[in-house]
Parts: sequence; C-alpha cells; structure tokens
Amino acid sequence: MAERREYYQNEDDEVEEDEEDSGGDYKISGRDSLVFLVDASKEMFIKGEDGEPSNFDMTMQCVRSVYTSKIISSDKDLVALVFYGTEQSKNPRNSFKHVYVYHDLDSPGSQCILDIDKLLGEKGAQFAEKTMGSGETSLGDALWCCSNLYSDIKLRLSHKRLMIFTCRDEHHGGDGAKDRQARTKAADLKETGVVIDLMHLTKPGGFDVSLFFCDIVSPPEDESELGLQIEPCRKLEDLQKRVRAKELKKRSQSRLTFSLGEGVNLAVGVYVLARTATKPSAVKLHRDTNEPVRTKTRYFHAHNGGILLPNDMKRAQVYGKKQIVMEKDEVDEIKKFDDPGLVLMGFKPMDRLKLHHHIRPALFIYPEEEQISGSSCMFTALLLNCSEKNLFALCRYIPRRNTPPRFVALVPQREELDQSQTQATPPGFHVIFLPFADDIRTVDAHVGPTASDEQVDKMKEIVHKLRFKYKSDAFENPVLQQHYRNLEALALNMLEPEPIEDLTMPKVQMMDARLGPLAQEFKDLVYPPDYNPEGKPAAKPESGGGAAEKKAKVEMSEEELKNHVAKCTLGKLTVPVLKDACKQFGIRTTGTKKQELIDALTILQNLCLIN
Amino acid sequence: DVRPGALVLCMDVGFSMSNSEPGQEPSFEQAKKVIQKFVQRQVFAENKDEVGLVLFGTDGTKNGLAEDGQYENITVHRRLMMPDFELLEEIESKLQPGGQQADWLDALVVCMDLLQEETMGKKFERLNIVLLTDLNVQTSADQLDVIIDSLKKARITLQFFLPFPVDGEDRADGGGDGPGPSAAPVRPGKGLSRQQTQGLEMVKNIMTSLEEEDGLEEVYTFSDALQKLSIFKRIDRRPMAWPCHLTIGSSLTIRIVGYKAVTEEKVKKSWAIVEAQSHQRDDVKRETVYCLDDDNETEVQKDDTIQGFRYGSDIVPFSKVDEDQMKYKSDGKCFSVLGFTKQELVRCSPFMGSQVVKVFAARDDEHAAVALSALIRALDSLKMAAIVRYAYDRRSNPQVGAAFPCIKEKYECLLYVQLPFMEDLRQFTFPVLENNKKFKPSESQLSAVDALIDSMMLVEKDEDGESVDVFKVNHIPNPQFQRLFQCLHHRGVNPDDPLPPVEPWLKRDLERPQAVSARCQTPLQDVKTKFPLKVVVKKKEQKTSADVFGNQEHAFTLTSIPCEVSHFNRRSLFQVGSVNPVRDFCTLIRQKTVSFDQACQQLTHRIEQLLGNRSPEYYMKSIACIQAFRDQGAFLTGIFRSSGICSSKVKNRPSAHVELKTSCLQHALLFSDALTLISKDEVDGSTFSKQDANQVLTAFYSLQLTSFKKFV
Repeated sequence: MAERREYYQNEDDEVEEDEEDSGGDYKISGRDSLVFLVDASKEMFIKGEDGEPSNFDMTMQCVRSVYTSKIISSDKDLVALVFYGTEQSKNPRNSFKHVYVYHDLDSPGSQCILDIDKLLGEKGAQFAEKTMGSGETSLGDALWCCSNLYSDIKLRLSHKRLMIFTCRDEHHGGDGAKDRQARTKAADLKETGVVIDLMHLTKPGGFDVSLFFCDIVSPPEDESELGLQIEPCRKLEDLQKRVRAKELKKRSQSRLTFSLGEGVNLAVGVYVLARTATKPSAVKLHRDTNEPVRTKTRYFHAHNGGILLPNDMKRAQVYGKKQIVMEKDEVDEIKKFDDPGLVLMGFKPMDRLKLHHHIRPALFIYPEEEQISGSSCMFTALLLNCSEKNLFALCRYIPRRNTPPRFVALVPQREELDQSQTQATPPGFHVIFLPFADDIRTVDAHVGPTASDEQVDKMKEIVHKLRFKYKSDAFENPVLQQHYRNLEALALNMLEPEPIEDLTMPKVQMMDARLGPLAQEFKDLVYPPDYNPEGKPAAKPESGGGAAEKKAKVEMSEEELKNHVAKCTLGKLTVPVLKDACKQFGIRTTGTKKQELIDALTILQNLCLIN
Repeated sequence: DVRPGALVLCMDVGFSMSNSEPGQEPSFEQAKKVIQKFVQRQVFAENKDEVGLVLFGTDGTKNGLAEDGQYENITVHRRLMMPDFELLEEIESKLQPGGQQADWLDALVVCMDLLQEETMGKKFERLNIVLLTDLNVQTSADQLDVIIDSLKKARITLQFFLPFPVDGEDRADGGGDGPGPSAAPVRPGKGLSRQQTQGLEMVKNIMTSLEEEDGLEEVYTFSDALQKLSIFKRIDRRPMAWPCHLTIGSSLTIRIVGYKAVTEEKVKKSWAIVEAQSHQRDDVKRETVYCLDDDNETEVQKDDTIQGFRYGSDIVPFSKVDEDQMKYKSDGKCFSVLGFTKQELVRCSPFMGSQVVKVFAARDDEHAAVALSALIRALDSLKMAAIVRYAYDRRSNPQVGAAFPCIKEKYECLLYVQLPFMEDLRQFTFPVLENNKKFKPSESQLSAVDALIDSMMLVEKDEDGESVDVFKVNHIPNPQFQRLFQCLHHRGVNPDDPLPPVEPWLKRDLERPQAVSARCQTPLQDVKTKFPLKVVVKKKEQKTSADVFGNQEHAFTLTSIPCEVSHFNRRSLFQVGSVNPVRDFCTLIRQKTVSFDQACQQLTHRIEQLLGNRSPEYYMKSIACIQAFRDQGAFLTGIFRSSGICSSKVKNRPSAHVELKTSCLQHALLFSDALTLISKDEVDGSTFSKQDANQVLTAFYSLQLTSFKKFV
C-alpha cells in the first residue's frame, strides 16, 4: 500500500465543490510528474524461458497500466515515456543521439494509451525495432534529455519522479567517461528535486545495483524503504495493479477555531476521510464537432424582456396560502447563528453515543499549529485524557459562514501502527454528527413472537459458517467501476468494456455449499411446511373498474377551486388532476411537484378574490 | 400514500385561565403560545393534517350541540382544515381571554362531535383531540363512561396540556422526565383547588382507560410543551414502509420491512425567484443557453449537444442513451447477506450515507418474526453483524452495509447502516502527535485537562445514583427550522419590518448548560495559564500572479483597501450633489473648500449611489463622474475607492458574489463605453505605490475581460 500511494501520489487540482478551504491561504500545490525512461537495448527484447514475455513487453504493460490508472485517479498529472539506447533519435531539439521521446511530458489521454498498445506483444517488438531500433547507449544523454523535458514545462510541478527501466546493471561497457557523465547528469536532476528510481528487471545471473546504479538513483527516504531497492518485483506488481479510483490529496476541508470557553481557543483542520465517491460529472459537447459547450443562464423580465440583475429579484415561498418575500441576503442571514467554529459543550461517556444515531459520514480533526501555536499540545492532552477515560466531547459545530449549527461528538482516536510500522489509524478526533429531534422518526415497532434457544442456536451455526473478516476497502462500487470501464472501452476503441467483478453480489453458490443442510434445518425449525416466505402478502383488493374511472377527466369548476382553496383541500387531489386544473385555468406550471401546483392554484384563486 | 390526520385544538379561555400569581405568566398566555407554536410548525412544515380550533369559556356560544342551555360558552372557532396563515393571524389577534367558565368535558364532547361530523365519509389516519385547560371548573362526571366509550369506538386519541404536572411528586421537584430544565409553573404554596384535584382524577381516569399504562405519558405541562415541540411527534408523518426479503444464500429467506429511523430532516421548500417590484414569479424568466467556447461564443441549440466525460486529456463523447445502455444494472430491491463479521471490525469503519434503517419482520407474519428473531439473537450473543447488499429499488445504486442486532425491552430489530466502498476512502496519514516531543503535554498540563473534563461532564448522577444526561441532543429541535419559521411568520405578518433577532430560548438551547458553565470556570482558568496558546500572525505573503488573476473574487479581496463612505451631510454646502455631481466635484477641486481627498470620497459615494440604480441615464452619469475623476488626475484614487466599495461589500456579506458580479458588469460597461484603457502613465504621480497600482490595474484588466466574457 505504501508504495502504491507513493507512485500514484496525486495532486488533484480540482477541489470538490462542497469542499472549499475557507483557510484562504491555500495555494494550488502544482502537479505530479512521472517520466518513464526505458532501456530499448537488444537485451530488453530477449524473451524469457517458457515463453515468458520479454522485459520490454513487461515494461510496456506496466507503463500502460500506470497510464490508465493515472487517467482515472489523477488526470492532471503529467507523464512522459522516453526510450534510450535506440538507433533512431527523436527529442525536442534533436540534440541527443539514441534518445527517443515517445511521449512528451503531458497529461495522458486516450491516444497515449493507443500508442503504447502498439508496443505490446510480439507485434510491439517488431514495431519498436522498426521505429526506434536498438543502438548505442548513453544514459547521461538520456538523463540530460529528461531534465530538458522537465524544464520545458511551464506549470508548477509538485512532485517529480523519474523511473528507469532496465535489465542491464552495467551500461557503458566500461566507458568511464560515459559513466561519469551519467552520474553528473543524475546529480543535476536530483538537485532540481527529481527523484530517480530504478526498476531493474530480471537479468540472468542477477542484477547488481552496486555496479553502477547505486550512484544514479535517489537515496531511500527512510530506513524502511531501503529493503525495497533490492526487490524489484514487488514494485512492478504494484505498478501493474490497476486502480480505478479517483485519488484526492490530503487537504483540510476547513480550518476552524475550537473553543473550550473563556478565550481558550485552539486551531484545528477538518478533514474528510470518507465521502461517497460519485461518477465524475458529464461535459456538454457540440454534437457535430465534439467541442465542449458552456452554459450561460440569464434571467429576464417576462414582459419587457430586460435582463434582470440579481438586485431585480427576490426570493419567495408560499405558506398557508400566503406568499412571503425576502431579499437574497435575508435568506442567507436566517441561516446564520454564529461564526464558524467548534464550541465545546462538555463531555459524555462513550456508551452515550448511540450506534444508530447516524445522519452523515463523519469528519476528522487534527490540530493546526500554524494558526494557533500550542494547539497540538492542548489537542494531544485532550486526546489522551478522553481516550483514557473513554469519553467523547460534545461540541457545537458551524462549518461555514451562514450555516446553521449542528451538534457533533468528538470521538478520540490514538495513532495505531500496523506490522510494517506504517500508520493504520491517524491520531485525532472523529467528528460524528448527532441527530436533532427532527431527524429521528417515530417508527411503530413490529412486535412479534421471539425465537427459542434451539432456533437461535441453529442460526448461530449458520452465522458461524458464513463468517469473514470485514475490511472497509474490500468492496468496490460496481456502478463506478462499470462507468470507468465503459469510458475506457470508448476511449480506447475497445469492442467491449472489460468485465467487472461485482463484489456486492452475494456468492450464493459458495454460501450454499458452506451451509450444507443447515439452511433447511433452520427453516424446518422456524417455518411451518406450507409457509412460503417468498410469496407476496395478499394484494390489496382493487376497487372494481378503478382504472377506467381514473382515466375520466373531470373538469374543475371555478367554484370547486374556490372551495378547495378555502378549505385547504387541494392537497387531497392527485397530481394529474392538479395539472389539468392548472392547464384549465391557464397557469404556466414549470414544476411538477405537488406543492408547487397547489401553490400556483392558490395564488390564482387569491388574485381572483382581490380582483 | 399516508392519509393525513385530523386534530382538534381545544383551549380553555375561561376567566380562571387569566389568573396568575404575581410574577407568573397566566395559563392563558402559556396555552396560547403552545397553540401558536404548534400551528406555526404545522403551517411551515406543510403538514397535511387538518386542524380545528374549539374555545371554551367564551362569552358567546357557537357549536352544533348548543340547545336549551346545554353546551353553552363553547365556540367552534374553526372547523377542520389545513392550518394556514389566516389561522396564525387569528390566533395572534382574535384569541382573547373570555369572561365565562365552561365544563371541559362538555367541550370535549363538542370536539368529538366536530371530528365525527367533519370526518364523515373520509378516512383519516389518526384522530386526535388536544385539550389545554387548567381544569379549574366544576364538571359533571356522570357521562364519563359514555364519553370514554365513544372515544374508544371512534379511535380518537387525547392529549392534555395542563399548567401543572400530573403527579404530585413531580410537582414538588419541577416535574417531567424530560431533559433540559423543565421548570413547571407550580402554583406556589396553594396547591390545587378542589375542582382541579377532581378534574385531575378524571383526566387520569380517561387517559388510563384509553391507553392503559402509557396513558399518562400524554399529559403534559404547558412549559414542557413550549420547551420541546417534539411532543407533537405523534402527529408527525409516519415513515414509509419498505417491504423486502432478507436472504442468506439461495434458499433461506425472511420477509422483512424496513423503515427510515434516523435521517437528516431538510427544509422541505426551496425559495422561488420573484421580480423585486411586482413580487410575481411569472415576471422572471430563466433562460439557459449553450455556447461554444470560441471568441464569438456561438450559440448552440440544446438538441445539438451531447454529453461526454473526461478521460485524461480527452473528452470522450458518451451519449445519455449509450450511458444508460452500458451502465451497471441492478436487479431490483434486495437485502442479501454477504456474510457475517465481528461487530468491532465494522465499528472501526466509517459509516456512510445519511440514514439508519430499522428492519423488522413483516407485519403480522409470526413465522418471519421468529426467523428474524433467531438471527437478531444469534448475532447479538456472538457480537457479530451481517454485511449485506442493499438496494432500495431497481433504479437505485446498490450499497454494502452492516445490519446490527438491536434488542429492546419491547421489540427486536436490525439496524442497517451503509458502509464505504473502496473508492470512498481516503487514506491520509497525519504526523505523530503523542510521541512528538514538541507537542507532548507535561504531567501538570494533563492533570489540568483532566480536571477540566471532570468539571464539564454532561452526564450526572442523581440522588438515586442513576446517571442523567443533562444535554440530550436528540431532544433539541433543529434550530434551523425554528429560526426559519420564526422569520417566515414575522415577515408574513409584518411584510415591511426587518427580520427579528433569534429568539432567546432558541439561543439558550444551543449553549452549554449553565450549571456546567459555572462548574468549569476554575479548571478553565487553570488550563488557560498552563497552556500557552498564541494566534500566529501571518507575515504578509508574497502575492503570486495566480492570486491576482485567479478569479474575480480573489481580485477583489486582494484590493481590500479600507474605504470610508462618509455619511452624507445634508446641511453642508460643500458637497458633491446628485443633480450634477461632475460640476460640483470640479468646483470643489477648484475652490479647495474641502480637501481633495474628501471631494474624491464624495464623488465616489455618488458613483456608488448611481450604480445602485439601473437605468441607462444613471449609467451615463456615473460614466461622466469617472471621466471627471480621470480628468482630475484622480482616476486611480477613484478606482481604489470603487474597488474598495466592492470589497467592503464582499466582506460584509460574503454571499454577495452575485451582487459583485453586477458591479463587475457595470464596471465593464463603463470601461468599454466611455473610457479608453488606463495607461500606465496615469498611474504615476498617484499617492499609491507603483507596485500596488499595477496590481490593481492588472486585476481590473483581467476583471474587465472576464466580466465581458461572462455577461455581455
């Protein structure tokens, strides 16, 4: 996981619409960039034993999967594909021999992938031979060329990474000058913040990093990564793993003051650790040219046609037959109770937090030392104490200006590490939203007979047979996965999308096999022989010939309308009847909501009364 | 389709209701407030329940049963209909104390008669009578059994609202088992009158015979009712039933019904846009046009557009039809068990979605009840939960969620909560806190926080050693609704008044309980001294071009130069008038009667006023003003001022972006129509630094361009 995140680390420029950072000083942190520098020497094309694909072929598969993953997870990132040790040369100023820039540093699109497809397999090797060929090697030149690619980019780059794919641990056949040049160029690149990574591929007799590459690649960032240098396969596997999920950069949703009272304030950042991922929104295109189309919305006066500016319009709602008008500002003002922030109310034992009091996914807070110094210390003290005493803090929470308050429970979470010493749970408080009285509905409980011990025990056996270890990232969203695959298929001219595995479907056969006779035994215990649980309950008796009656259109007289309005009984009519009535009285109805129709008719009737 | 309920509010307005001890609000006023709040809520929540209003103790008599001196002083004020503004206004102005007394049992009979008559031939989900009285009147109990009988037969439920709590014990300590401070208005010293004691016995008698042991729960005090309107819950709409089958494997099926038990209640109605003068919705037409992103902004018909999705740097055309054809298809509603897992594993996972569903066995199916009960009990004793695939219907996306067992004294059910998909999770890592030397709190700091926590516990032990929650969030009505209803009500009754301030009780609901506040004073002071907390003053950051060119809002906030729009002094002779501001301005400059700066300020003020009106002649006038600024070499100052105006607007009303855009448009018009672009030379010689001036100019240039693109 750790490495995968590294390689796919993404700096997403797009902030989710509802995730504005009100901190104000946030700056776009730039984009990630990744250059694949691939050895195209003869050795790379040698097929493995037992018909295993050549190193070149494997590399291309790997590059392709990174490209396709990038497109979905972080489409603003830049990638480039450069070959070295080629016969042909192709680079921006054609100043380097034996370096072939296949893709310049750019955000990848469908064409890039189609281009890479040409290099795959047996045909791919032939195509590569034809277009690039294999020739002399100068890693120094190749690195120099790559550094030019970086410097030609005018965008701000946040993360620069260069990956060398080769199966040769020794490049220049003992040419000391070339080795030196490569080292110098590598040092120059590292100087400008480029991280150089080696993806050494299988080589008969083993790949000796210490021969040459130890001086080229960037030193590992910390001790724990050291081991990975020697183990190329895992990196490759990770690279080949397809990820079809949009990645988001860690960024606080907002920064708030957390007030304990009496002017004791600390600063916290609010983070979203889980949010329902949705399909990216569609773009409108012109049918003929596929050009993107923008929409403009204008308001104008229905009678004189003049354009209405925001000041020319007010907001209105109809309640109890009366239209109430307010300014736009007033509508916002109504929602304002206090300034944004968290205000501590007090503490409660954890058992007072009800599992079923859930109305929204939780948020997460972590101290912001840069806003108020000392926040982290205070925060840690609260965290330790709350977790020690098994308490949660109850707070009033106002996320933004002109937003009404909600009460939240701050549930402490101490840092936990997994076996590999990476963070499994981060330290901080979960922010759990609590329901108000209005959010809790009165449900009439169904009271029925309860099960006997024998029946319960049988069910326990069933439960036992079907137990598994739940992990929150175990299920992919089939709707999203299907969408991404459809897009891929269309973009890459595939005949049909790759099939998805719908993990949300029960594996019925496997379950049945595991249960064996248990299911039947349980049914025998709880259901009488003639009982069919799948059967629908008796359908409600239909009123004879109802359908025909409904169809018959009944015109509403003005008198009837008047009566309905006066008695507030319009609500009892069905939507089609109301629509007909609107049509009949010549009311333009834009809405289809019942209340809108009722409002329209009510206003009409009231106007008639005035006239 | 849930049929609405019918409810009769029956309020005692007799003279005893107006009596009160000194310093106490009369029962009449309290009862009136309860009714007002209730009707307000019904009107604004657009509850479909029909409401009638019967008053007793009135001077006059108006009811269907009045005959031969029977049922006198009882007035049917309003028959059953949906509550509306008229009713609210009537309660406000016409609901007055009466000078008579009437038997509340008689009034109850009138209400029953009214309900019977009005609901004849119609089917109502619920029939309810709400009696608000102080019981301070002689009643004849001889008909009691008949009344109880017919209430039962007609399935009419009753609620009583009294000035005092129903049991004596409660009366002593403030009464009610409700949360929060429920200070019942007990008549100090005196206790109850003979009639009241007798009446109370009858109330108990009726309620217990109607609803057996729970009957007395439907007797409230006025103050309780005002405190928590959730009492009116029983007339709220019932959640929709969702019948489905719970399946385990291919052969084990249990018939179930789900109900949304907890979900975030949103404001139901949205705001319509009306024309500012006529207040007519039809006067505003909204038009959306599609245009290409070229220089001419060529318009395109809606039918000539298709949808596409970004795929990397490309946009892949993907029509709606194709999308529907290719998209994931769910095979209808389901509640299928995927497997069982330890509850603790699920509890660590974030919960998704916005609801909790309670799952029961199908109604009146005892076999299903037994089967589900077996599952619930098995899960409960094993501390496990079911992981299920949940799909509401054929059109909705499937979810994966957890069903937890829930065993209550009276019922059992499963609680379903949605769990995240892999795509929903964001694996963020945060720096170490507790093992970081820099942030590690000292022992004394830890104990200070410890003491603070102890002083701020919201769960306290009462005399019997039982813990009492003094701040139950789920008993607080959402203040958003209360505030909205208050403002709507106020504006509806007083269309020209500004909005009222937030009601004090509503504010109090959102504050820390007073006892806790008092208790934590000392520990809080201790924490304050032990933890140095300092607001970090940011160095003025270098402004990047992105900030300047970013977008309009940025451009404006950047140039937030304080602007004082001085109060217009009518008595002064030396000012820029509105008739011919340019001439006045020039005169002022020439005569130097006021400082140059002041003259500029005044002219700016005028421009602002002119821009406030929207008609071409005012535009021309403001253009002339800006021209004058320019001629006087004060152009830049003017720009700064007008941008100041905008930014101050933004500051004061953060939501005023729209308005801001208007000003942008106007600026754009001004620039294009009358003035050539400002040259750099004009910047020189101003009182502002060249760098600042350049920044403003670039900001304005970009603004001009964007506003043109957007609006013209």
